[in-house]
Amino acid sequence: MSRLFVVPVLLLATILSAVTLTVIGPWAGPEMEKFMPVLQEFEKQTGIKIEYKIYRAEDLANLLPAQFAAKKAPGDVIFMWASFIREYGQKGHILTLNGVLDEAKFLPGALDAVKVGDKLYGAAYTGKVKPGFWYRKSFFAKHGLTPPKTWDEFVELLEKIKKIPGIKAPIASGDGVGWPLSDVTEHFLISFGGPELQLDLIEGKVRWDSNLVMKGMNKLVSLLKNKYFGEPTEWTLVLKQWWNGDYALYFMGSWITGMVDDPNDLGVFALPGANGVVFGADYAFVPKYTQYPEEAKKLIAWLCGPEGQALQVKQGGHVATAVGIDLSSYPPVDREVAKIIQGVTALPDLDDSIGGEFQPTFWDQLKLLWVAPDRLNDVIRTLQEKAPKK
Amino acid sequence: MRTRAKYVAFFVVPAFALVGIFVVYPVARTVVLSFLDSDGKFVGLQNYIKVLSSREIVNLEGLSRGFPLGALVHNLLWIAIHLPLTLALGLVLAVLLRNVRGGAVIKSIIFLGMVMPMIVGGVMINFMFDKNLGIFNAFMEIFGISARSWTAYPDTALLALIFGSVWLWVGFSTVLYSAGLETIPKDLYEAAQLDGASALKIFTKITIPMLRPITIVVVTMTLLWELKVFDIVYVATMGGPGGASNVLALQMYLYAFRAMDFNRSAVVAVLLTMSTLLVSLPLLRTLRDDQS
Repeated sequence: MSRLFVVPVLLLATILSAVTLTVIGPWAGPEMEKFMPVLQEFEKQTGIKIEYKIYRAEDLANLLPAQFAAKKAPGDVIFMWASFIREYGQKGHILTLNGVLDEAKFLPGALDAVKVGDKLYGAAYTGKVKPGFWYRKSFFAKHGLTPPKTWDEFVELLEKIKKIPGIKAPIASGDGVGWPLSDVTEHFLISFGGPELQLDLIEGKVRWDSNLVMKGMNKLVSLLKNKYFGEPTEWTLVLKQWWNGDYALYFMGSWITGMVDDPNDLGVFALPGANGVVFGADYAFVPKYTQYPEEAKKLIAWLCGPEGQALQVKQGGHVATAVGIDLSSYPPVDREVAKIIQGVTALPDLDDSIGGEFQPTFWDQLKLLWVAPDRLNDVIRTLQEKAPKK
Repeated sequence: MRTRAKYVAFFVVPAFALVGIFVVYPVARTVVLSFLDSDGKFVGLQNYIKVLSSREIVNLEGLSRGFPLGALVHNLLWIAIHLPLTLALGLVLAVLLRNVRGGAVIKSIIFLGMVMPMIVGGVMINFMFDKNLGIFNAFMEIFGISARSWTAYPDTALLALIFGSVWLWVGFSTVLYSAGLETIPKDLYEAAQLDGASALKIFTKITIPMLRPITIVVVTMTLLWELKVFDIVYVATMGGPGGASNVLALQMYLYAFRAMDFNRSAVVAVLLTMSTLLVSLPLLRTLRDDQS
């Protein structure tokens, strides 16, 4: 009789004590489908259950401060901007990961964005690069187009594309909250101001109205004035239009390879002279208020370690931040991306690194510039007002 | 008597406590915050001067260059355009649909905009004015005006939101005016007709004056909505491009949750509260007069 009573109690206790970690990330749709196998593999290996929730970083920026103030967290492992992790790590809301991750096993500088002094507040998962303008090889072949090697060739190419019947504009402009426009702009700044400019702008060492910045911005504005860029349109919608031939080029991060029907038809080129490329790692942290700190650290160590990253890059659209990931793990199209970034400086994303009030201002001002390029001086003035100052 | 006092305390104290904790304290705390700096030191009117002199709130350069004109001016523009349009359209629709067969169904359809969550309304407005999908462009092309995404341009973004929100809000004024029309005694119209009054005269001398209490309610509620408008702007344009459609409530949010500057945010909150109180006064006065 007593055995009959003990068995259900033990079963119930086992069920109640089973750990379920909540992982919060920005990926939905096809991007999420490529992330789930990684989480499932961890579940299989450890028996720890995982629930995945989708939150955009912009929404987390509103939600987390209030949750932290109430000593709560909506997840156990949360993917978020590096600037946010650094800020709230210093405020004591995030657990340090020193001892959980071995810095030597990451690409040089990969963890710098989430470090303050010797304290490591976040982990670098895989990343994405923003290598340049994507095109369909079949489209270029059909119209006899070739990737440019100089700025003049680039402008010539845009002019040729503009004349193709049925084309809305040579370059598609992705919009949403504004980040796709900021990615293109950063590419122009790096190409004409050099990789150092990106770092100096992040640290507030260079003014937005300096000659170096204006050189890149003027080049961009010259293209905008000639209507080489299309009207800003929701970025996933314009992706489809670009794929269907309404546009010829689309500036996007490497995750695009996971969002098109035939990744093997993709080609990509950077602006001639670009010596740097934005490498945006996906950073994750463990909030102080997690119920399962040890299990969360275990998950973060596995995800950001070679096994988790190798599995993720295999899915396509991701580049590892951990060292020692074999190139054969990458799908062919991602190897092409890897070739572009060879020999160039990997740089942090400008607005993600600065964060705060600057980020939405940057996005919003670029939306203005895209439709009113003659207002460059207004845009630059506003950006200088909100930029960090050294 | 003592038992009655106990009952009163039993029912009143919890209500007062809740109002005190969830209304009075946050309001008082916000007012206090607006006079402090980020370290909690008293800075007098410094935050108010900083906010009111910022280009985000009032941008006089816009008078010569065009939008943005600043969030405060945008709110005033919203009131100047949206209020008369919703009032006039609501009244005209209510009068026209009064004796029309199926008028109730048409009014229900018009009221749908009001039932819809404003977040969805914002998305709908974006679609409505979109270059590729928008019904507005299809209409404008009849007049030879080429298609564009109206919410993407600084000179049209705010106006697109305002006109779009007229569609969302006009159901409110139509329904209220329709109810008000039913309360006007038929004898008045019959007497006027017997005296040979024209339709226009009946409308201006009987309908409009008799609807005055309804008009006060509609004006007050619409003004309050226009002052606190946030969701539509947040979803459709996020106040852009370049701040061209920004409004006070959105700027309050941006100060608080993007700049993490709760003091400047509190200033905007206080200004908004004072404006809404000011706007509510005529309604409160009318209610008091009605009671007396």
